[in-house]
Amino acid sequence: MDHRLYFIFGDLVSNMVAGILIALCAALLVGTGWNMFVAMIVMMALGMILCLFLSLALGILFGAMEIMVPVMLTGMFSGMISGMWLAMAEAPVLSLIWLGATTGLVITCVIWLVNAALRGVSTAELN
Amino acid sequence: MADLATRDKWNKAAATLDLMSGRGEMERWLPFKSRLFGNMEPGKILFASLGTGLDISAFPPGMTITAIDISPEMLKRAQPRVEGYPGEIRPELTDIHDMPYPDGHFDQVFTSCTFCSVPEPVAALKALNRVLKPGGRLYMFEHTGSRYFPFKYMLDLMTAMSRKIGPEMHRTTVANVKAAGFEVTEVDNLFLDIVKTIKAVKPQN
Repeated sequence: MDHRLYFIFGDLVSNMVAGILIALCAALLVGTGWNMFVAMIVMMALGMILCLFLSLALGILFGAMEIMVPVMLTGMFSGMISGMWLAMAEAPVLSLIWLGATTGLVITCVIWLVNAALRGVSTAELN
Repeated sequence: MADLATRDKWNKAAATLDLMSGRGEMERWLPFKSRLFGNMEPGKILFASLGTGLDISAFPPGMTITAIDISPEMLKRAQPRVEGYPGEIRPELTDIHDMPYPDGHFDQVFTSCTFCSVPEPVAALKALNRVLKPGGRLYMFEHTGSRYFPFKYMLDLMTAMSRKIGPEMHRTTVANVKAAGFEVTEVDNLFLDIVKTIKAVKPQN
């Protein structure tokens, strides 16, 4: 992970904002009449694509790939989870905000951990 | 012969490149680029591709650098940064696939986010191999595709949307460097296995 506070904060806020926005989008689109599996797939795809565009704007402030990849992943998971939830039952807006923010936080942490494992001089591609 | 479609694409992208890459991306990557470009040594240096010159701030002072780009609009926007460099940068409008330099002309070659953008990456790397002296070194700062799920598929999706107006996100640049005849000596992953520096050498024979 980047150790500069500006980028740590930027990564975290970008992912939390993305998670919240996608969960709120799901609330606008998905209702309890939806098939849960369809809601999950539709919101997963929509979350990822919407977050690709969102990451272009966030990337201006916080970097390119380091924002695009986690934010798309956050959009995908936030869309999946909120889509399934909203297909099963009505969800309060505050709960969806918490869900989106938590998804963003978790994805940020996962990316930090995976990055810690992958970064550095690699021999995997040398041969 | 210049690739007019590629030239047109990057001429169009020039207007927004500083906005999209100038703050977040450049600040994030500046320490890594400064470290990589710190390998520049006195001699004939080729830099591909100059773009709007954002990378110049990471160059060590006092070098003589031939900096190529396919887009006249990019070079026009790079001019103030070229003039502000404490050394000599010679911007040249050239297609990387068809450079007018003799074989073995350069001592070192540097690239920065170039091989997400060129249409024929292996052919372009072969062209760099041709203009580099035997034993000469290639230093690259690039973003590439990933070998790992789910990043590999996400980058494929991004490429489907970005390739018409900008870079491709899923290139196998390390393999391409080897396919072009270089010996890869170091791959340093900076973010996941996507953003990386690559060091390679042109074999003596």
